[in-house]
Amino acid sequence: MNETIYLLYILSFVLGSLLGLVLSYRKYKAPYAIGKIDIMALVLAVVGWFLVLNSILITFIPTYITITIGIFLLSMVLGMRPGYGRNETFIGIIVAGIIWIIRTVIL
Amino acid sequence: MANILLNVLIAFLVGSVLFGLQRKIMARIQMRPGPPIIQHLLHTLKFFIKESTFPKTAAMPFYIAITAMLSVIWVAAIIVGPVTQGSLLLIFAIYAIHKIVEHNAGSSSGSPYGKLSCVRAVFSAAAEVPLFAVLIIIYFKAGTMNIAQIISYQAANGPLIYSIPLAAAMFFVLILSKAPYSPFAITKGKDIISGYETEHFGLLRGYLMMSESTAWYMLLWVFLTVFIGGLSPLWYLVGMLALSTIVGFINATTPILNPNHSIMTQVSFALIGIVGSLVLLLY
Repeated sequence: MNETIYLLYILSFVLGSLLGLVLSYRKYKAPYAIGKIDIMALVLAVVGWFLVLNSILITFIPTYITITIGIFLLSMVLGMRPGYGRNETFIGIIVAGIIWIIRTVIL
Repeated sequence: MANILLNVLIAFLVGSVLFGLQRKIMARIQMRPGPPIIQHLLHTLKFFIKESTFPKTAAMPFYIAITAMLSVIWVAAIIVGPVTQGSLLLIFAIYAIHKIVEHNAGSSSGSPYGKLSCVRAVFSAAAEVPLFAVLIIIYFKAGTMNIAQIISYQAANGPLIYSIPLAAAMFFVLILSKAPYSPFAITKGKDIISGYETEHFGLLRGYLMMSESTAWYMLLWVFLTVFIGGLSPLWYLVGMLALSTIVGFINATTPILNPNHSIMTQVSFALIGIVGSLVLLLY
């Protein structure tokens, strides 16, 4: 069962990356985005990293489903075409990390 | 059966993503954006829908059978490793067959690049000395070749990486030699195009790449299991990410060595590792 869940996470990562790659190639024609933030990608990254790191806060859904959804969302941003999605991912990690620290260390 | 299929799927997907991650890390170090992390996986899947052609010079049916053999041996490695936690000797035997597949895949194609890769694969068999030495050192230390018993030994006495670090270093060099773009990857040096894979197209290439991803996962799995102990899937993933990142750094900053230098460097590592490990075992 444990390994089945990890397979689910891996498949979620692969499918999310694939979708992110296809959509970002449709959306952006230029090879790089220097200093620009994609609001949609930022929301996906923040929600995705939040669900992965703080899945325990969502009590009405089993943890593995929350993490699977989170991985799918964060991998959509992580898997965007080269030159895109990095800043959004960093912000997502930082926001989710701060919430994790507040939840586990401070409270 | 379901357990085998589950582990094979995990091995293939994780191995492919780790190869992609390695390319990404190498690219970032070299100031390039690099391909997406799932590029290697997409590249592998792409070959399954490409047309398969067979060179006139290919030695049939060996040319086709060799790809099936590569797939079968690494599925066997998964059965011996994560599924049944059997003997390390079987893993060594599978690795030895992998070498045979490398040089036979090269020679069966009839391509000069494949043949050069075949010669290099035979030549680089010297790099297997460290693996054999690692097995003996593990046996001296843990008193067993069985993976399940090695895990139990480590649970009782601590990870083997602390007691026989040089053996772990030797095994790491072996892992490094199997990474694409590594300084020791002479069988697939870009001077011989894609080495033994050059003349394998379409479906056959897909199976070769799939097996290589599985092989990469298995080598990392063996390293983590034998030198650190039985881990949870999450810690296996973390360990594999860490090892692949280190390999990516090494590959990005070193050129592929000349075959003579590659073998001599590996043999030198082996010599230091064997002598050092024996000294550590004695004192």
